[in-house]
Amino acid sequence: MLNIRICVGTYCYITGGSDLIKIKDRLPEEIKDKVVFVGSACLGCDDEKETSKPPYAKVGDVLITECTEDKLLNEIYSQLGIER
Amino acid sequence: MLQVTNKFYIEVGSFQHNKHGNIVCGDSVLMHKSIKENRTIAVLSDGLGSGVKANVLSTMTASMALNFRKRREPITRTAKTIMDTLPVDSIRNISYSTFTIVDVESDGNGKIVEYDNPELILVRDNKIIKLPAENLIIQSKLSSTNSDTRTIKLSNILLQKEDRLVFFSDGVTQSGIGNRNMPFGWGDGVNEFILETVKEKIDISARELSRKIVKQADLNDILRPKDDTSCVVFYVREPRRLLICTGPPFTETKDKYLAEIIRDYKGKKIVCGGTTSKIVSRELGLEIIIDLNDVIAGLPPSSKMEGIDLVTEGIITLGSLASILEEDFPKNLDQKGPHWDMYRMILDADIIDIVAGTKINIAHQDPSLPVELEIRRNVVKKLASLLEEKYMKTVKLKFI
Repeated sequence: MLNIRICVGTYCYITGGSDLIKIKDRLPEEIKDKVVFVGSACLGCDDEKETSKPPYAKVGDVLITECTEDKLLNEIYSQLGIER
Repeated sequence: MLQVTNKFYIEVGSFQHNKHGNIVCGDSVLMHKSIKENRTIAVLSDGLGSGVKANVLSTMTASMALNFRKRREPITRTAKTIMDTLPVDSIRNISYSTFTIVDVESDGNGKIVEYDNPELILVRDNKIIKLPAENLIIQSKLSSTNSDTRTIKLSNILLQKEDRLVFFSDGVTQSGIGNRNMPFGWGDGVNEFILETVKEKIDISARELSRKIVKQADLNDILRPKDDTSCVVFYVREPRRLLICTGPPFTETKDKYLAEIIRDYKGKKIVCGGTTSKIVSRELGLEIIIDLNDVIAGLPPSSKMEGIDLVTEGIITLGSLASILEEDFPKNLDQKGPHWDMYRMILDADIIDIVAGTKINIAHQDPSLPVELEIRRNVVKKLASLLEEKYMKTVKLKFI
């Protein structure tokens, strides 16, 4: 199972995190059973704020900045080794 | 820090229902809690008739009574002024509205003044105790004849822990009038109802008890109350405490201190804020579990942490809580969402300790953010004053 962590801290939530958590309800069939969505109070990305932007999500150990549905799915597919 | 200093705590709760078809209540309930003097005053007034006219009369009476009492004016003067100020009813030709004043000092000494409302009830050790009262006869200055005299009942009482004072307008005692099982209304039936309710739930809050009494009166009238019904309850008890922690401390060296406050607190605990919960999780070695299915009302979901009653996001949730508190007292308490969970916990608490970290999240100040995020310190101050003034809670605010 691939662990997907979505940040629902204030900053991430208002910059798009609120939409990211809804992705779990519309996952494509082929990856539905291979991933687990969990929330995170804060992924602790504050230190990198000079260079990167929210919302943040983590697929496995890979941090995704300015995360969108597309970016998130791409990372999931590549880590699972499935063609998208 | 955060020690219990208040040995004697009084919770006041009230509930009202309008006469069927009326949009305003002809009864008025006003309360005042003086933090400095540690004194609680509540006034219930029933205006003559119903609707707007009654509402004006009762509001005038209640606010005069409350303000006179606050300044410790003599009862005679208070009653006389009220009688002389109220307008004379054009149909009934009298100036009239009832009132009950309850004024309890910090040591438990209570003064009760009653005029024409149903008799106030003291519930002690699950028995109804009659208060020894002294009558005071007052004559209106404006009255031309000697016939306009009013009898006011005065009583003094020393309250003990677990005592309850219950008083209501005649809408309660007269509810159900004409029904086969209560041809003359609920009358003394309400006493038994109170005893049974308290017996069933020994620690029932003042808020809940007053609500139950009014709801039952409403049922007696088959949900079409024939008069305005109001009930006020005083409950003397061990204070219930609630801790709300929000925001990271100004310096990181205080993180441990914050976590220890939470760990050692005796009472319910709420942690608001992603970073804050991270700090608590790190310092106390507790895991945070977020339920992503719990996304309601457009707020970030709440999470779970062992030993903490509620863990939520910070500033957005607190802002939503503030808007609930600012509204007129909500009637529907079963709404969902982390802010409503917080609201319900607040209603059940007497003493609320707020520990607010003052570290500013610079990212939140970005003007390009889609939502305006307030500075935590301001939101917390607003919450504290709402809880104190409108909800009569004892609030202790601490910035770290």
